[in-house]
Amino acid sequence: MTDRIVSVLRAIVFIGIGLALCGVIFEIAGYSAPLMFQSIADGAFLRSGALGHALRWGLPLFITAVGVAISFRAGYFNIGAQGQFYMGAIAAAFVAEWLNGWPAMIVIPACFVAGMTGGALWALWPGLLRLKSGADEVITTLMGNFLASLVLVYVTSGPLKDPSGSGQQASSRPLDAAYRISTSYGLSPTIVALAVLVGVLMWLLVNRTAFGVLAGLAGRNPTMVEWQGARIWRIGLASFLISGALAGLAGTIELMGPNGRLAGGFLPGHGFTAILIALVAGLSVAGTAFVALFFGGLASAALFLPVMAGLPSAAIDIINAAIALFITAKSGMIDRIVKFGRRAWTRS
Amino acid sequence: MREGAGPVFACRGVTVRYGHVVALAGVGVDFERGMIHAVVGQNGAGKTTFACVVAGLVEPESGELSIDGQALSGGDVNEARSAGVELVHQSFALPPSFTVAEAMQFGAEGGGLYTKSMLEKRWQPHLDGLDVRVSAKRRIRDLPIETQQGVEIARALVTDAKLLILDEPTAVLSPEGAQKLFERVRRLKALGVTVILILHKIREVLAVADTVTVLRGGRLVEGPIPCAGVDAGRLAELIIGPAAHSLGEEEKAALTGAAIPTHSDDISAPARAVPILEMKSVSTRPDSEGPALDAVSLAVRPGEIVGVAGVEGNGQRTLVRAISSLIHVTNGRIAIEGRDMTVAPLGERRAAGLRVIPFERNVEGLSLTSALWENWSARGLLQKPLLSAISPSGLRRRCAAALDAWDVRYADVGQRAGSLSGGNAQKVILSREMDEEARLILAAQPTRGLDIGATAFVWDALRKARARGCGILFVSSDLDEIFDICDRVVVMLSGRIVAEFRPPFDIAAVGAAMTGVTR
Amino acid sequence: MDEIIVAILRSGTPLVYVTLAGVIAQRAGIWHLGLEGLMITGACATILGIVLTGSLALALLIAVVLCIVGSILFWFVVEKLRANQIIAGLGLTGLGLGGTSLAVQSIFGAQAAVTAPFGLPRLGPAFGAYGALSVLVLLMPVFVFAIWVLLRRTRFGLRLAASGEHPFAARGVGVNPSIMRLVALVLGGALCALAGAELAAGSLQIFAQNMTAGRGFMGFAAVIFGAGHPVGATFAAIFFAVVGAIGIRAQLVFGDRIPHDLLLGLPYIATVFGIWLSAKLRGGARAAVGFGELRDP
Repeated sequence: MTDRIVSVLRAIVFIGIGLALCGVIFEIAGYSAPLMFQSIADGAFLRSGALGHALRWGLPLFITAVGVAISFRAGYFNIGAQGQFYMGAIAAAFVAEWLNGWPAMIVIPACFVAGMTGGALWALWPGLLRLKSGADEVITTLMGNFLASLVLVYVTSGPLKDPSGSGQQASSRPLDAAYRISTSYGLSPTIVALAVLVGVLMWLLVNRTAFGVLAGLAGRNPTMVEWQGARIWRIGLASFLISGALAGLAGTIELMGPNGRLAGGFLPGHGFTAILIALVAGLSVAGTAFVALFFGGLASAALFLPVMAGLPSAAIDIINAAIALFITAKSGMIDRIVKFGRRAWTRS
Repeated sequence: MREGAGPVFACRGVTVRYGHVVALAGVGVDFERGMIHAVVGQNGAGKTTFACVVAGLVEPESGELSIDGQALSGGDVNEARSAGVELVHQSFALPPSFTVAEAMQFGAEGGGLYTKSMLEKRWQPHLDGLDVRVSAKRRIRDLPIETQQGVEIARALVTDAKLLILDEPTAVLSPEGAQKLFERVRRLKALGVTVILILHKIREVLAVADTVTVLRGGRLVEGPIPCAGVDAGRLAELIIGPAAHSLGEEEKAALTGAAIPTHSDDISAPARAVPILEMKSVSTRPDSEGPALDAVSLAVRPGEIVGVAGVEGNGQRTLVRAISSLIHVTNGRIAIEGRDMTVAPLGERRAAGLRVIPFERNVEGLSLTSALWENWSARGLLQKPLLSAISPSGLRRRCAAALDAWDVRYADVGQRAGSLSGGNAQKVILSREMDEEARLILAAQPTRGLDIGATAFVWDALRKARARGCGILFVSSDLDEIFDICDRVVVMLSGRIVAEFRPPFDIAAVGAAMTGVTR
Repeated sequence: MDEIIVAILRSGTPLVYVTLAGVIAQRAGIWHLGLEGLMITGACATILGIVLTGSLALALLIAVVLCIVGSILFWFVVEKLRANQIIAGLGLTGLGLGGTSLAVQSIFGAQAAVTAPFGLPRLGPAFGAYGALSVLVLLMPVFVFAIWVLLRRTRFGLRLAASGEHPFAARGVGVNPSIMRLVALVLGGALCALAGAELAAGSLQIFAQNMTAGRGFMGFAAVIFGAGHPVGATFAAIFFAVVGAIGIRAQLVFGDRIPHDLLLGLPYIATVFGIWLSAKLRGGARAAVGFGELRDP
């Protein structure tokens, strides 16, 4: 139990340090840090309807983050969630295009299958390169992100281009309203149900199956699990595929829900934010749900800032990056404080 | 060089704490100049910590140190080195990718640019002068272990060392290698270097040292005692402490290396029984973890403990990995209980009764950052399909029962394996690997780093398994323990089994086989 | 032909500088994914410095100082707070990308790119077809050689390598591995500043948001592909640049028949290929160093 308290305290302290660093950067860049933080808090949590916005952004992030947590638990730094998210959305968009005119009952499930497959396939090749050849997955999945962004730009300005679209931002033809699972507000019973379903299934997978325990052990010490007779590559590949499929699912939700179309470079920070969520939550599925809500709020503030406060949305990127810088930090300091506190408590 | 009249090294009240563990408590000793001083004690007695304090690698919490009457502040390697103290570690401490010349250079005085030939010209004479026969061009990782140790010592002597500390130098050597090392140490003594030897076998202490100092549980028990006229039995009792009365003479001697043990068990394995393990001319390819096996044939029958002796790095690791299906077998066949298992994965072999106590307890045996129950249940979970449902609370209960039965001291099955002491951690592995269905147990260095109580516990567990009819393959680099518990001993050299011995064992003959001397 | 070589040098030079930074860090035992963030900081600081101060020397000084400050921050987090290198490196990259965007927006409003009136000194007409290249292109081999000497032919280099490969051995001869890593990261930071300066002011004199486009990560991959050797990694970086140049040529030759956006992806594919090949040849250079606390030591 103390372990849990220490890790929560640690996360809070280091997020605090990260925010302080952000304050310094804001001041150097010529913004008032208090005003910036005030506006971010307003945009994320305080304005009316903030919870709804946080959910709209938080639910897809939650789904991707759970996938990231699963591959991180198994010991693989799949940081390609962004690319898998794009590839899922692209695959779903193609299927929606081909099946245009068919009943929604068929098109919507087909799109989801395609989206999850697209994401899983985009995780499959780095997974195979890692497990069969030992090619470092950090670089391959990062490169996968850059490649997927290019594919997205190509698709939206080529095969799926919206001819009526104007302006510099290329985008695909909008989905038929019948195929949308939410309005552009982005929150609907379907999306909530999907997130809950993913949460429950993945919680069971991690906590109530042999796979969950073994993947956790393999992630912390693959050598030991190999000496126990496990075929590590099966656990590894499954983790890659699950994380890819979930990122693809999130991409499909964004496409068929709030966005309704593909746009070149849409939601560029989604994958990175999902990685942060997973890490802040200590890779726990249940924790991810709460943390996703917090980052969902921040994501909604990124839209709020330029419009309502006239401040740059890059501020949110900086906050995310500063949290990333510190979130895995460990320091004996916090453990000592907790221990001291406990001793004082038992003495009194 | 300033030659004082007092002791070359003196310390008073040295205390070191690692978290809650007191590694050294108020240790104070004086070491005379120009002698060979042995420091002995069981594992966990604080010997290595003591060596690190003298060398400035560990800063004591309190206490005073002096070299040649000059006080040291402690915890500063550069200060200790400039005072003339050098340490050679137990597990060698040279970067494996370095060449021998580079390994000399990086600890030496004088920076500046160099070329490879300059380096070799500078250091080859130094190596030759110390009678370390190695080319300065070779890479550390390619050297046999005895040469590596020579290079380590040469590295320690690149500066004008007046106090050289060797931490358990004999642990990795054959008996003959140890003799050679002792000769080298005596030569250093003749050159005026004071040597502190950390040892754990009384026999070796008496063979080489001038004085002996005994540590136990971080405290100084006695010392330095002049070795002339010291009694081996009394030394054994000083090392073991209050637990000594509960052990037999035979076991005491084996545990402290006081005398060469003779095999005392009168269980003779049924020679005609079907072997539990049968290897027929098994070969593998060499890899980063060790040399290849070369046509190894070996049988282990039910109810016998077969010892694998040899200098470390001669293929023992590859042998265990081959039986565990962790390395590809290129030739030959492996059968477990009469069933051909040459290509079967480890999971299948485990299902047939194979159990492994791996070499590296903290890497291959346990996941230190995982809970005890996760570590304990890994073997069982791997027998099921990956997606089968589990009940964590049930696993925790079963784990607790098993750990209690094995007398593991723990607070909660949810605690991390890394929070256990070495002996308790090994017991967790035993409780996982020595279950009722175990038939063939590979015990690879199962007592390494354990104190005397835990070592005796492991031996006892292995004997009980033998009594149940298990076949046990026991790999160790400590001949004393091999002689004490094994019914048969094979010797490995360069990936081959070069000799086989039955009791009564002759240490000279086994030692000769280990280094390839035929007689 | 000259044209192609100019194109390769133009895109390859910043990559080589950032790769050298990665080589030094890797030698000291740090897998440096913050290179991307430091590089864009260097690029942004150079251009903004020129625009705001009118002096190239001052601009470069600002760039180098900022990158060194970032490196020290990274060192502190990784070494003193024992944070995971991969995640902290990505965080540093995020700070660089976000911070430069913020700086540009704060000074120039919502403008997408900032143009400087001049850039780094050029080689000049004496070099013929290569005259438009900056002096940093010419200095590149000097840097490669100097770093090779530093790492492979000095006692400092040995101590740095020991700090990365076997910190225990380094401590045994009185070297503080943590300080060695600080030195390595500071040197790397300065090189990243030069990489950024060359990218933004070498031929273009422009800074655009996210203009590094993964070059820092490719530099990191070049370190792995080049087995951590300064010369090998340089060749790996140049190989990536060659592939990129081929893509641009192919575009001119094939026109619209091959989609332009996909040809832009060639360097990334080359990077994946490089990582795969080095894993095949050397049995998997494992860059990911585990999750620290989440993983056994």
